[in-house]
Amino acid sequence: MFDFWNNKTKTNTAKVAKNRLLVTLQSDRHSVKEYPFMEEMKAEIMEVIKKHIGVHKVEVRKETENGIDALSIEVQLEK
Amino acid sequence: MGVVIAIISGKGGVGKTTASANIALGIATNNKKCVVVDFDIGQRNLDMVLGLENRVVFDIVQVMDGEAKIKQAIIKSKVNPNLFFLAASQTKDKTVLESPKVEKFIAQLKEEFDFVILDAPAGIESGFEHTIEFSDEAIIIVNPEVSSIRDADRAIGILDAKAQCVKDGNDIKKRLIINRISPEMVLSGEMLSSDDILEMLDIEILGKIPEDKGIIEASNQGKPIILNKKSSAGQAYVRISDRVCGKDVPIVNVETKSGVMSKIKRIFE
Repeated sequence: MFDFWNNKTKTNTAKVAKNRLLVTLQSDRHSVKEYPFMEEMKAEIMEVIKKHIGVHKVEVRKETENGIDALSIEVQLEK
Repeated sequence: MGVVIAIISGKGGVGKTTASANIALGIATNNKKCVVVDFDIGQRNLDMVLGLENRVVFDIVQVMDGEAKIKQAIIKSKVNPNLFFLAASQTKDKTVLESPKVEKFIAQLKEEFDFVILDAPAGIESGFEHTIEFSDEAIIIVNPEVSSIRDADRAIGILDAKAQCVKDGNDIKKRLIINRISPEMVLSGEMLSSDDILEMLDIEILGKIPEDKGIIEASNQGKPIILNKKSSAGQAYVRISDRVCGKDVPIVNVETKSGVMSKIKRIFE
């Protein structure tokens, strides 16, 4: 009986948790560093390209378009 | 050829090892030959939850390094003849694992057993990656709580990228267990509901387990709670194991009032 009364006055913290999580998961999923192996992979890609041409920087981004995940790799060459 | 299932969570302390022990025992109860392997190198715990800590002679790192044969390292359960256990190394750290050795080790287990259950370490580092790498399926354990859900989402992301079957172009089967549900709190809006969690993680449900004090008592004694037919968590593990074995068992909504009532009834028993 008292529970019923409390429900009306108490804030619904589960709803708060859900809203906060929805935003956080969204940003986690789209973050550049989504994979912990991203830095390692960048270094490995750099090593492969360096065998053939001078590289300044490699950037890897995960992108999602029309429900398809893709990695976009940008290689900046040495001047 | 057996099925390899990794039990993962991302966050530690949500009930991975308890789930591994209970699901493995539940599978064995279904008359399937099952081995449960502790992949938490350096933090061996599954042996205690299973009550087999005094029987460990060789560990999986010694097997992978060729210092011991699987036959020497494997420990037979005292409670079920279909259940076997392999211990993690307690002295080494998780960086000792190497993909080719893990692959060979798991292939050998698949030959021998109907089910190979791998208890993953917490976190999403190399030890975790090696656990999921050669798995056919994954069971993700979460608590209805923000940090557990966030970490599980990260772990699922890595699972979808790093599992060998994904690299081979197939999907990895993954299902969720929501552990430590307090029905009263869900009803009063103080705890995330299963529906909310499933919607956020976009994943299939495998089972819902209510909070149960018996879990501590069970691990105190090294007797998995699935052996306690009266316990609500034990019953939930029976249903989950049956589903893993392919039985069509409906999901019981432990969050509804009837769940609360049965809990109250149990107090008076």
